[in-house]
Amino acid sequence: MNATETGGLPPRAAPEEGRLPAPAPAADGKGSIKRKLLLVLGVYLAGLIALIAIYGFKGTRNEAFKPQNEFKLENWVNLGIFSINKAVLYLILAAALTAGTMTYIARRMQQRPNKVQAAVEALFRLMHDNITASAMDERMAAKWFPFIGTLFLFILFSNLVGYIPLPTNTENEINVLGLQIPSFSLYAATANLSVPLVLALTVFVSYTVEGIRAKGPIGYLKGLVPGGVEGGMAIPIFFLEVLSNLMRILSLTIRLFANILAGHLIILFMAGALAVILGSAWLGWFTLPFGIILFAFEVGLVAALQAFIFATLTAIYLGGAVARDH
Amino acid sequence: MHIALITVLAAAEETAKAGKSIGLGVGGGLGAVGAGVGIGLIFGKAIEAITRQPEMRDEITQLQWLGFALTEATFFYGLVAGLLAAFIV
Repeated sequence: MNATETGGLPPRAAPEEGRLPAPAPAADGKGSIKRKLLLVLGVYLAGLIALIAIYGFKGTRNEAFKPQNEFKLENWVNLGIFSINKAVLYLILAAALTAGTMTYIARRMQQRPNKVQAAVEALFRLMHDNITASAMDERMAAKWFPFIGTLFLFILFSNLVGYIPLPTNTENEINVLGLQIPSFSLYAATANLSVPLVLALTVFVSYTVEGIRAKGPIGYLKGLVPGGVEGGMAIPIFFLEVLSNLMRILSLTIRLFANILAGHLIILFMAGALAVILGSAWLGWFTLPFGIILFAFEVGLVAALQAFIFATLTAIYLGGAVARDH
Repeated sequence: MHIALITVLAAAEETAKAGKSIGLGVGGGLGAVGAGVGIGLIFGKAIEAITRQPEMRDEITQLQWLGFALTEATFFYGLVAGLLAAFIV
């Protein structure tokens, strides 16, 4: 408990610990944590005041830096519409991770699970019992679990890889020992509109096809109208339902895309872009802790939550498409 | 004459810029208001439900996250509309 809490402190606290004369080891845990927190706060405020004193309160606007270039896709290999750029790299990374880690762990399954296997088993239970089996009957669940599970893991890995800074920004290069390497940047395949759109279209096509196979084309279209609606009212309701079916593509896409893009944007701005644009040093120091907190929030909650939502809604749509009564 | 024309054109450009900024502000700001109310309601109700029926905690938590994500998405619809207004239209 104690160790994890101190480990969870922002990394800035680390150098200060070394510089201080070692605190009395006999001090009880609570007191030392409080002292460390106060120390971090003190360093933060002192840094803020020092930066304002050195560089002044007003900054000069920087017109050269364009934050939208962080999301610009530069073709590395030109192949027309199949050009390879950084989004493709992230897609391949996520796909390789999904396939690689899962087959590796499945090959090494043991009777007595180690920690990684236990975590993957928990993940499997979440995907199988909570997401898939709760939305459809057993036969359907057995048939569609691979699809939903893969979708979940692919989006999860895609989101998580996006929060690791990788040297992919070929727009701006940095010089390390005479070598031009691309600067490190955050990017995720799911922060590009086309990737979630393709995933959502796949989901739409699969549940429509499954519904038509279960009920026939006419039966499926009839099934769109909720039970209990009869007579003349059925016609406008039918069009509304068709429209809401098409809106599902849009809502699945935008939910995933905008969540990840907004997460990346806000991390970018909090962790320095705002300070660079406005050209004031103290602002960067001021927003850095918020950047770290938001980063932890995005990695810990949003990445997994969005994958969970996408998979859950897929399961619900699939289950709804074959259900006898709407 | 020319200077007057330039001033008028510049003023029009400023107005367009102001409109775009208003679009972004309304899209992001009002979207955040609605989603904030919704998320607050969801978590409040979830806490109420769990205190009433602690044995249903797991199911309620799952539904709570589902509702949270669906509600949060509406904020992003507003934000995307605002960003479209500000940078693309």
